[in-house]
Amino acid sequence: MSKPLIQAGPATRWSGDEMKRRVARRYAAERRFRALGLAAVLLSLAFLAFLLVTMIVRGAGGFSSTFLTASDATDPAMAGVWGALKGSMLTILVTMALAFPIGVLAAVYLEEFARRNRWNDLVEVSINNLAAVPSIIFGLLGLAVFLKVMNLPRSAPLVGGLTLALMTMPVIVIAGRNAIKAVPPSIRDAALGVGASKMQVVFHHVLPLALPGILTGTIIGMARALGETAPLLMIGMRAFIAAPPAGVTSPATVLPVQIFLWSDEVDRAFVEKTSAAIIVLLVFMLMMNGLAIYLRNKFERRW
Amino acid sequence: MTKEMQPVTPTTPVPFPSTAIAADAAQDDAGIAKEDTAWTQRPEPTPHLDEAVDSNPTAGEPLGQGAPKMRAQDIKVFYGEKQAIRGVSIDVHEDKVTAFIGPSGCGKSTFLRCLNRMNDTIPGARVTGRIELDGQDINSPDMDVVQLRARVGMVFQKPNPFPKSIFENVAYGPRIHGLAPSKADLDTIVEKSLRRAGLWDEVKDRLTESGTALSGGQQQRLCIARAIAVDPEVILMDEPCSALDPIATAKIEELIHELRGRYAIAIVTHNMQQAARVSQRTAFFHLGELVEYGKTADIFTNPREQRTQDYITGRYG
Repeated sequence: MSKPLIQAGPATRWSGDEMKRRVARRYAAERRFRALGLAAVLLSLAFLAFLLVTMIVRGAGGFSSTFLTASDATDPAMAGVWGALKGSMLTILVTMALAFPIGVLAAVYLEEFARRNRWNDLVEVSINNLAAVPSIIFGLLGLAVFLKVMNLPRSAPLVGGLTLALMTMPVIVIAGRNAIKAVPPSIRDAALGVGASKMQVVFHHVLPLALPGILTGTIIGMARALGETAPLLMIGMRAFIAAPPAGVTSPATVLPVQIFLWSDEVDRAFVEKTSAAIIVLLVFMLMMNGLAIYLRNKFERRW
Repeated sequence: MTKEMQPVTPTTPVPFPSTAIAADAAQDDAGIAKEDTAWTQRPEPTPHLDEAVDSNPTAGEPLGQGAPKMRAQDIKVFYGEKQAIRGVSIDVHEDKVTAFIGPSGCGKSTFLRCLNRMNDTIPGARVTGRIELDGQDINSPDMDVVQLRARVGMVFQKPNPFPKSIFENVAYGPRIHGLAPSKADLDTIVEKSLRRAGLWDEVKDRLTESGTALSGGQQQRLCIARAIAVDPEVILMDEPCSALDPIATAKIEELIHELRGRYAIAIVTHNMQQAARVSQRTAFFHLGELVEYGKTADIFTNPREQRTQDYITGRYG
């Protein structure tokens, strides 16, 4: 067979000037896109770098053993971040302990057990809306329910955690539902096919596979809760508190609120403290994210 | 029992369509139509089906005596408003392989999924009619769907091992049904199931490795091992070879022959040669109806219905 299988068309089709211009245009478009994308990445990194550099330059001098072990004080030389840090930890612990299990349970129920009907659609819309409600509104809700109705102690990590849990739950539910939806149906079929019950399918197969995705959503929700200020102001966590909280019911403040309070101080020495507190908050967030990413990878590797 | 693959090479060379079209496009547009018709004129598959049936000495086995393992009567399935199955009645016999063939969308997979109530999991699906397993209505309140699925196992179109170790894949069923009181019992069940699925020699040294790391054909045999680990009475196979290469397909077919007699097997297949090679009973579905059901040898060599004749000779489908 000497005849080629594909006969070339007119010679100009692939080698003509028009085709060359066409190819050149396509490569140019790709170069433009790469440049644009790189610029976008650099722009966002530039702001992060600016923040970090300014804070480190301004705040590095603020670090001392007193700063890391003391609580708030009127004298900037005696003021420390430990009280706020401990308050943040306790608050986030309460948030996590409530929002994670309830959010995951709600996600599992809605995705696996609830019937698909208009009621379910309504619930879905409500949860999506809830995730978008401004945090200050949750603060007001916390004030009305936890302080006025339930008479819980003012300014306590318990109430802060409860309020932030309300705010974080919808985020976890949405992330959880998406992660559960992403588990391939073939795995469900496989488990049902050997006679697993609905519960066994969900808890032996679907949930473990969805867990990395759920954890990612939880990280985002927790990071947001950790940096939240407005709702905590509403429930009285803006008070001047000179001792680290003993437990979840003692008065406390949290890092972002402490930063907010110090930034408002007249004494120039508090500028340094504010920057140092911002560094502490950022490091705390990085550590939390790092832990969550570690956990996520660990769960992913198990399979 | 022979298990050779019959070559499916057509008797007349068929030009690879894109080549033919590209060649014609360079010359003149009218040529495309001409070559295109030549391409759609497929060779008659009948001689190969004959060979396939001949290679299967059990294809002409007479119907088994006694009551069938599963009996479906007047099954109708609706997906919302759409009716997928229009009154199908079939018996699945204990020591037989029953093949369901038919064009895409004819309802054969839907029907198969009725037999262990997998359609229950599809929202909007509704099944009417009566299906019996050993004379017991599988839709009655007395029948627990979880136990039913343990008794009527299933192998799916795409191999779907759990993303767990090979051992865990096979051990899962016995474990949830409490079939293995001790670790040693569980080890025995896993080994026996993997042996029966013809996979033991390939995986015995790496039982802790992930089941998803196996090749496609090994994965499908792992799924078969997983299904037989709970010691089912019936095994349903939904196009188990459609994602596999010919060698893996041959191994699965060999396995089906070996499993016959121990389990009642119902297999859906797109591949008519495969139905002819592995089954003793064949049911031909078309547009949600059961057109013809009988001995495999009869269906492929001497069908009663014109529609069956047309389908197996490749006139449509």
